[in-house]
Amino acid sequence: MDGPDGVDQDRRGQWLRGVLDVCVLALLARHESYGYELTQALDRAGLGQIQGGTLYPVLLRLQRTGLVAAHWRDGEGGPARKYYRLTPSGEEAVRRLSRQWRAFAGRVDDLLLEEVTSP
Amino acid sequence: MTDERWLHALGQELARHRLTPDLTHHVVAEAAAHLRDSGQPALRAFGTPQGYAAAVVESLASQHRPPRRPPGRVRLRASQITKRYGRRTVLGPTDLTVRAGEVAAIVGANGCGKSTFLRICAGLLSPDSGEVVVDGVLGYCPQNGGTYDFLLPEEHFVLVGAGRGLDRARSRRLGRSGAATLQWEPARDTQARHLSGGTRQKLNLVMAALGDPDVLLLDEPYQGFDRGAYLDFWQHVWRWRDEGRAIVVVTHLLNQLDQVDQVLDLTPGTREAAA
Repeated sequence: MDGPDGVDQDRRGQWLRGVLDVCVLALLARHESYGYELTQALDRAGLGQIQGGTLYPVLLRLQRTGLVAAHWRDGEGGPARKYYRLTPSGEEAVRRLSRQWRAFAGRVDDLLLEEVTSP
Repeated sequence: MTDERWLHALGQELARHRLTPDLTHHVVAEAAAHLRDSGQPALRAFGTPQGYAAAVVESLASQHRPPRRPPGRVRLRASQITKRYGRRTVLGPTDLTVRAGEVAAIVGANGCGKSTFLRICAGLLSPDSGEVVVDGVLGYCPQNGGTYDFLLPEEHFVLVGAGRGLDRARSRRLGRSGAATLQWEPARDTQARHLSGGTRQKLNLVMAALGDPDVLLLDEPYQGFDRGAYLDFWQHVWRWRDEGRAIVVVTHLLNQLDQVDQVLDLTPGTREAAA
């Protein structure tokens, strides 16, 4: 099945696997959030529907490695939710990782553009 | 499966992986909140309880494992080992060097000489040519056999312990605690011939590891294990490695291979130890 941008889901999943933790860190750099809200934000950002089974292990790993901190808070009239926010080392990591990703993606872009525009 | 049953199954599965009750509760509560918020059925959002629990445990395990120490001295060196039975070559010239704190996996099709090579490394079988040097105490776990039908598990512990310079009480104690880590409590009056295949393999594994040998040679030791015990087995392998033992595992299950230090593929034509 293809997504709106024509990328089939398998490939999108492969691409996303390497960068999902960085995207999550970047979203949390804006404001603290909980799992379901993050999946909505990723969807809105055009990255497709990330399932809970994919997202929560990433959050757990980020929590374990000290890049995010979590606490439970009652929702307004709804169920309690586990909120995540960046720690200082998470803020440092998101700057470093996004710099590295942009450099890497830029090289891929350069290569593809060269390939497509060369005679 | 209803979401409630799915969440219950997830809790049980996490407990089997021996997550703390606290952490288990948090993971289940978070999944429940997600299901309420998203309105999705659990199977669609998270997959099977078993699969999701495994993903959760893996995301935690990478942190649990202490940083790897650099490998130590060479504990096992097998050089240019060959073996023939009559005219049939079962093993072409094969090398393997394993250092303290390393895990080597031996893989390959059935009949390519994996068990033969391991038995030669264990000193149970003579090679036609080549040489094996072992530095330290060696523990060997065969694929099957290796237990004595009419002996009790405790008598096995005492027997192996005696060979490693341990007294009877200590051997029994170490054997029982080793069994407990595999979720097996040996009955005091059950002879080995009455144990199930999987339990006999646990006995073999406990014997191999008794007294913390320096070199562990394990020939598909998890046959007949249920899934929980199989996962436990690999946790033991990582712990032994972190304690500085040299470990060789014959395996046909490839999903652990990205975590071992070297893979020796004995399939003819691919004979090379890749780091």
